[in-house]
Amino acid sequence: MELKTIQHLCELSKLNYEDEALEKVMSEMTDIIELMDTIKSFDLTYDDTKDNNSIKFCETREDVAKPSFPTEKLLSNAENTDNCYVVPKVVE
Amino acid sequence: MDLTRAKIRDLRKALDTKEIGAAELCGEYFKKIEASDDKLLSYITVTKDKAMEMAADAQKKIDAGEASMLTGIPIAIKDNICTDGVKTTCSSKMLENFVPPYDATVIENLKNEGYVLLGKTSMDEFAMGGSNQTSAFAKTKNPYDLERVPGGSSGGSAAAVSASLAPCALGSDTGGSIRQPASFCGVTGIKPTYGRVSRYGLVAFASSLDQIGPICNDAHDCAIMLNAICSQDAHDATSARVDIPDFTAKLGQSVKGMKIAMPKEFYSDDIDDEVKSSVVAAAKTLEAQGAQLIDCSIPGLKYAIPAYYLIACAEAASNLSRFDGIKYGYRGEGRTFEDLIRDSRSKGFGEEVKRRILLGNYALSSGYYDAYYKKALALKQEIIKEYNEVFDIADVILTPTAPSVAYKIGAQDNDPVKMYLADICTVTVNIAGLPGINTTCGYTGEGMPIGMSVIGKRFDEQTILQCADAFEQTFAPTAPKL
Repeated sequence: MELKTIQHLCELSKLNYEDEALEKVMSEMTDIIELMDTIKSFDLTYDDTKDNNSIKFCETREDVAKPSFPTEKLLSNAENTDNCYVVPKVVE
Repeated sequence: MDLTRAKIRDLRKALDTKEIGAAELCGEYFKKIEASDDKLLSYITVTKDKAMEMAADAQKKIDAGEASMLTGIPIAIKDNICTDGVKTTCSSKMLENFVPPYDATVIENLKNEGYVLLGKTSMDEFAMGGSNQTSAFAKTKNPYDLERVPGGSSGGSAAAVSASLAPCALGSDTGGSIRQPASFCGVTGIKPTYGRVSRYGLVAFASSLDQIGPICNDAHDCAIMLNAICSQDAHDATSARVDIPDFTAKLGQSVKGMKIAMPKEFYSDDIDDEVKSSVVAAAKTLEAQGAQLIDCSIPGLKYAIPAYYLIACAEAASNLSRFDGIKYGYRGEGRTFEDLIRDSRSKGFGEEVKRRILLGNYALSSGYYDAYYKKALALKQEIIKEYNEVFDIADVILTPTAPSVAYKIGAQDNDPVKMYLADICTVTVNIAGLPGINTTCGYTGEGMPIGMSVIGKRFDEQTILQCADAFEQTFAPTAPKL
């Protein structure tokens, strides 16, 4: 895996690595991708019209408004003021 | 009362006959946890005060003659299943202080039965791993040998049941996370059919593969737990519209005439000889009871590991994008919005979780999507087809649960590829959405448990429970000496 590929993946994944850690994860990802590459020798194409998974799932419920969780409870795991999430002041 | 490997049925009887009270029973388990869990590290949170309140409520139901099967039964819950007001960490620094504002549907169902929550059990971080060593808090050990891993990701639940620190527990299984730790710890664990148990309130890893299930001392107890947790749930769009049977109905029935398939790929040179011979011996035991053994093949197994990891990690990359350090979870630092999110995720997630997010985004990114993700979906279709063909000629499939028994702690550190390859015996069951149960079928010369898996047709948990139960009637398990 090339440096620019891992940097792009970090961007997509919203992750940071220090230089040394980046080298390490790049090496690990190279080994992992090598394992994933074995799938390329499988000679079939995905056909979404032939999906074998025929489970009948839950019917969609009626679109009726119902009471939800109290806002205070939902915000209890975050920094919050006046029922809003609080983030650090940012000037971009 | 001796609680060593105590079964739910025995505890039910003891509670109903007043041999023991619900609070006393609960207290006995806490004594065992206090005495042993500093060595085992199976629990992250122990809920003593809450448990005593729940036990008091349960006792009222028992005294009024209104007890259900699980009323007053102490149960441990994997720490990725939401419990209202009780910390649910997923063994991650990211959720170190997260307290869910609601109960998962399985927890609601258990509450309706009057269960007692013993605590939340350790796991691999976000259920990503097979050793419990990726936990940020409690790296659980194997009760049979404290220098070995308990398996994972439901390693805390399996170790707690194995060491009699809980009579039963809930786990979750995305690629073997109930069956493999059950195998390593010498207990019984079932992954139900995809859609059988509601996933509402289970912190998502890979939504098309995740399923909650019980880990217990035998198949009969697993059936009792399934009866309690299964329900059709409007909160889960993948909850299946199928009848829910009595899962205990076929227990005790003979396996005479049952067709048991043994796909040759599961008995290759990649499987340890001691494991292989123990599972084959178990098959012969079932044959002696009248079952018919059938040779067959699942060629798609060759590609199962990349197919599984591509699908699971693609879904994980999407599911874990919700952790931004703003709405809940670990908050890092940063002078811009982007910096804040990246710092939160980089410091909140452990190394294995980050690797899987990177792999998932790789498989989904432009230029790679067709070659990896869509190819994995094609493999999924093929594996489902191959399983369907086997089930045209067989009632169940018998395989080893893992290529080896529990290995030494550290043996797979720094080698993610080796760790992924060890999932070969379990992942296809999740890919195909089938039910599978692990039960112990022997011990190695060193005394480590060996597990076998019975895999069933979709929504036919009853038959795999019947088969596992029939074998268990012939087998005397050995509890670990902790």
